Amino acid sequence: MVALPLAVSNAFALDICIRVFLFAFIGAAWNLLGGYAQQLSLGHAAYFGLGAYTSTLLLIRAGISPWIGMIAGGVVAALASLPIGALCFRLRGPYFAIATIGTAQALMLLFLKFRDFAWGAVGTTIPNLGNSPLMMQFAGKAAYYYLALGLLAAGLAVTYWVERSWLGYYLVAVGEDQHAAEAVGVNVPRIKRDIYLVSAFLTGLAGTFYVQYIYFIDPNTAFSFNVSVEAALVSIVGGIGTPWGPVLGSALLEPASALLQSWLGGGAHAGVQLALYSVILIAVILWRPTGLLGAVTEVYARIIGPARPPASPAGGALRKGVPLDG
Amino acid sequence: MAEALVVRGLSKRFGGLRAVHNLSFAVEEGQTVALIGPNGAGKTTSFNLITGYYRPDAGSALAYGHELVGLYPYDVCARGLARTFQVARPFGRMTVLANVMTGALLRDRRVAAARERARRAIEFVGLTAKEAGLARDLPTIDQRRLEVARALATEPRILLLDEAMAGLNHTEIDQAVGLVRQLARRGLTIVIVEHVMRAIMALAQHIVVLDHGQKIAEGSPKEIAAHPEVIRAYLGSGGYAHS
Amino acid sequence: MTAVVAQAVVNGLLIGGIYALVSIGVTLIFGVVKIVNFAQGEFVMIGMYISYWLATLIRLDPLASLAVSMPALFVCGVFFQKFLLRRVLGLGDMPQIFLTFAISLLLMNVALLLFTADYRTVQTGYTFASLRLGPLYLSVPRVIAFAVAMLLSAALEIFLRTTDLGKAMRAAAQNRDVAMLMGVNPDRVFSVAVGLALALAGAAGSLLMPFYPAYPTVGQQFVLFAFVAVVLGTLGNVRGALIAGLMMGMAESLGVQFVGADSGLIVVFAMLLVTLAVRPGGLYGGQTR
Repeated sequence: MVALPLAVSNAFALDICIRVFLFAFIGAAWNLLGGYAQQLSLGHAAYFGLGAYTSTLLLIRAGISPWIGMIAGGVVAALASLPIGALCFRLRGPYFAIATIGTAQALMLLFLKFRDFAWGAVGTTIPNLGNSPLMMQFAGKAAYYYLALGLLAAGLAVTYWVERSWLGYYLVAVGEDQHAAEAVGVNVPRIKRDIYLVSAFLTGLAGTFYVQYIYFIDPNTAFSFNVSVEAALVSIVGGIGTPWGPVLGSALLEPASALLQSWLGGGAHAGVQLALYSVILIAVILWRPTGLLGAVTEVYARIIGPARPPASPAGGALRKGVPLDG
Repeated sequence: MAEALVVRGLSKRFGGLRAVHNLSFAVEEGQTVALIGPNGAGKTTSFNLITGYYRPDAGSALAYGHELVGLYPYDVCARGLARTFQVARPFGRMTVLANVMTGALLRDRRVAAARERARRAIEFVGLTAKEAGLARDLPTIDQRRLEVARALATEPRILLLDEAMAGLNHTEIDQAVGLVRQLARRGLTIVIVEHVMRAIMALAQHIVVLDHGQKIAEGSPKEIAAHPEVIRAYLGSGGYAHS
Repeated sequence: MTAVVAQAVVNGLLIGGIYALVSIGVTLIFGVVKIVNFAQGEFVMIGMYISYWLATLIRLDPLASLAVSMPALFVCGVFFQKFLLRRVLGLGDMPQIFLTFAISLLLMNVALLLFTADYRTVQTGYTFASLRLGPLYLSVPRVIAFAVAMLLSAALEIFLRTTDLGKAMRAAAQNRDVAMLMGVNPDRVFSVAVGLALALAGAAGSLLMPFYPAYPTVGQQFVLFAFVAVVLGTLGNVRGALIAGLMMGMAESLGVQFVGADSGLIVVFAMLLVTLAVRPGGLYGGQTR
């Protein structure tokens, strides 16, 4: 995987890989909150957009490198998650999801209004400085490929750390039953706030990467509802609450979407893409609510024989792949 | 002997209903106290008031001199009061071990250490053979055991058991009584809400009787069994005495 | 000034009738089936397109097409319940949220592919007609929409209070287990409840058509108001949803009048904030802290 860009010079293929990594990373960020703690956000575009705008504003208004802007964007997103979380976590289940949609939409409206400060609805292009690694701009796609892969690796590392630490147990407990979790001493509001903060921070990094990659920003791109949807979708399709679920989901959905786009051309694409995504989502929920990862391991077990009992019952996936309707 | 838990004037209304009214009682360290009364007498509400799930309209609950009223449930637990629920609430899609580890992580955030302590709690309640199974697959009695183990793993000084024996058969009740007795022998202070008279008489040193949210009597099991008002309000009507 | 305010209030009240229909649908499904239907707005959209095409192809008046859109969406609702919602009953948040959410996305995007993003309008003889009431002007199609919406709400309330099936629905909304013990057939009750909810959404669509454009994402305009109205009016409560729907309409109209044309969404979220401040436990806040 590391040597792939050397072998593949096809820009289209590399672009697909970059999107796979990027959305797997965003999915991993979403999964910490939505998968482990079952707080089903549909508004992660808020943090993607804040990350994107923070680094772009710093770059264009102050000449600050997007490398610094990326961290700043993550921090801004993380800070924004505090008041947003304080409000949205007062709601449970579907109403939490609705409130998060609202926050992302409200931020988009806000940036549409910031005409002087943030270019309003017109948006802006990122000044192209040629090959300048210090400004996170590269001549070929290979560097973006490694950068996206690096982000994904960081996202997976965070996920693994969380899953194997006390935090993983607490998150899953919160996701299972908040009252019961409080009874054994889990500070539920604090856990939710903290994991939302981490999730927002990571999503903010992705926002910076994305604008640097496509050299353009406007509110509709940065706060795109599609980002919120895909963040959840790749996790659910791949396997919610598992480290590799978002990776598998992204590896299936992003190439499908890209091929569809090249086949249909730009115009009809948006509608077809979301229609396809929604059909896949419906199919997964009705027939494989634990995601495709569960299906893959089942097939694997059928071939290899029954899985060995796990060394530690909680190691690996805390929440075992049991169909929800079982 | 020191008083572990002191409840004074605890009151809670839901709309027009006086769920708990001016309830006071004290539990001495190491004692097992039973809260009894007919359905709707306010027993579970009292637990919810003491453990921070409801905020009382008036009154206080002191654990070792520290006020519990106003604390959140997780802070109450951190203060050394653990509880179980009337209907067991295991983390269904976690393994038995992971459930209990979640409790054990309160006192020590290291996973390996928590696993060891969780295993001891699981062994104590007799679930070792099933520790790798999912909590939701356990039968009712084992879910109750699991909940006790999970509560014990938080290293409480006071344990509140809410109808831990409802729905169990005779043999299972005997096992459960044995378990609670063992806990008491370890020096744990225990408050039980219970309907099963046989278990109450076997376990409790002191009984508090509630009816319509108010305390109508308290005393030793012998005194309570002979108390005319208790017989009228509770034992006479319910037919629990022989259940 | 008072005339301006009064005019804004009246305009809001009139459109509030539509919000009320959508909100009642959401609250009815939630009350009986315990699922928040993210796709409710898309069924309004379908109702609009049904009326649009009937008006365009066979020159049927949008109000007359109520007779088509409501039964059609009732049938949709029965299938929606039988083949989709039923399969995620009691399964927790994730499948329920994402199933109805995915259906919402699917319907919007299928409409986009079939009908493009164009705004489609139907002009009737009364589209621009208005009544004068003292200093106030009342748009005729909006008055009709409001009146029919109120009639339908009243009819639903009577249905819920007097018929056996309606009583069964209320019982199911109160307590599932008790309802089962009373011999209520849940499948039938659920199907009819979802069918009625969708029929109301279809009615809202047809009523909107004489004065509001149809486009694939039009449902989103209404469903957000409906969600907030349902929070405001206490979940599962039909009368609460009705009153809250009317209030949302008035609040939006006053917001547009005094804050700015695109303040609708801001007003929605301001209302949500107020609701949360008043009911801090949130919707499922059975816990009194």
